Amino acid sequence: MGQFPQLTQEDVEAIDTLLREVLERSEASLALLAEKAGYLIQQAGSSAQVDTTTFATLGSNAYNAVQFMASLIGESNFASMYQQGEHFSTLMLNVDENSLLILVFPTHVTVGSMKYFAGPAARALQERIHLAAQRDGALSLDLSDLDATNVAALFERRDP
Amino acid sequence: MAIINQATKELQVKIVYYGPAKSGKTTNLEQVHTNVQVPNADAKGKLTSLATSSDRTLFFDFFPLEAVAIKGFKTKFALFTVPGQVIYNATRQIVLRGVDGIVFVADSRYEKMEENIETFQHLQENLKALNLNFEDIPCVMQYNKRDLPDVAPVEYLEYVLNNREVQMPSFEASASKTEGVFETLNMITRMLLNKFLNDGVRK
Repeated sequence: MGQFPQLTQEDVEAIDTLLREVLERSEASLALLAEKAGYLIQQAGSSAQVDTTTFATLGSNAYNAVQFMASLIGESNFASMYQQGEHFSTLMLNVDENSLLILVFPTHVTVGSMKYFAGPAARALQERIHLAAQRDGALSLDLSDLDATNVAALFERRDP
Repeated sequence: MAIINQATKELQVKIVYYGPAKSGKTTNLEQVHTNVQVPNADAKGKLTSLATSSDRTLFFDFFPLEAVAIKGFKTKFALFTVPGQVIYNATRQIVLRGVDGIVFVADSRYEKMEENIETFQHLQENLKALNLNFEDIPCVMQYNKRDLPDVAPVEYLEYVLNNREVQMPSFEASASKTEGVFETLNMITRMLLNKFLNDGVRK
């Protein structure tokens, strides 16, 4: 299993543009790029009412569960996952081995239409992430002068 | 595995609390969530629990916690638990995906020893299924429920669960009283930073 690459400012801007484009074209209200371990990578759209960090974590774990189901019936991959609600629905699409695209959209938009716009967006995201992965390695987080023994108080208990 | 976002200057790290049923994994997370000092409200996310009607973890518990900036990087820890019941073993494997550090929460009571051992074996098997090597992942052992009667001595627990060439750091805890909870969390955090120092955040 490979790893999700490090993103530069340029990557983030490109991903942001792709997410905004899919929102504009599809009428979706929220688009998230999530890493399958549960991390929210990038978001676009109206997120004021939504805890997007939790949403991405739940989405990616639900998606992983469905992939596990696929393996139990001999399918190598369920490429997407759709949930229909009364007011909003969600569509999750595989982007690559490590990430997925999560879209929230009003129920008057059909899932077929959503897939039509989300498919190319997922492929474009995949290409951008692939570019970042190819460059990865040149970038690193230099922790060489960090005193790792001095983190005892990283998390402290509040006074009772 | 840990994610670095150079653009937003964020480092994201995943810690999973693993252990047998009712050993106190969810309690650990609840205690951290309730009692941790945070510089601002945004540093601590909501605790999400996917539980059954009888409050047993069905999928996982989760909350994001932000630490002080390290080298200018905002460090976000995603804390997860797995369901303890054996029937949910497949679910545990799903939650372990991308794990950076593990806290094994053992139940100190004699009657739970077999479950502790079995769950620890499952942990290693589940990591293997994800192409991860247990020896490569920082792990802290927590001997929980020390406040209950009929607990095994720590020496015995160490012999049964931590009898290896390189021992895992271990802590006694009574998670329901918050005892040992922060010590455990700070140790796994320290081990993760040490690992990042030695290996680099990206291999």
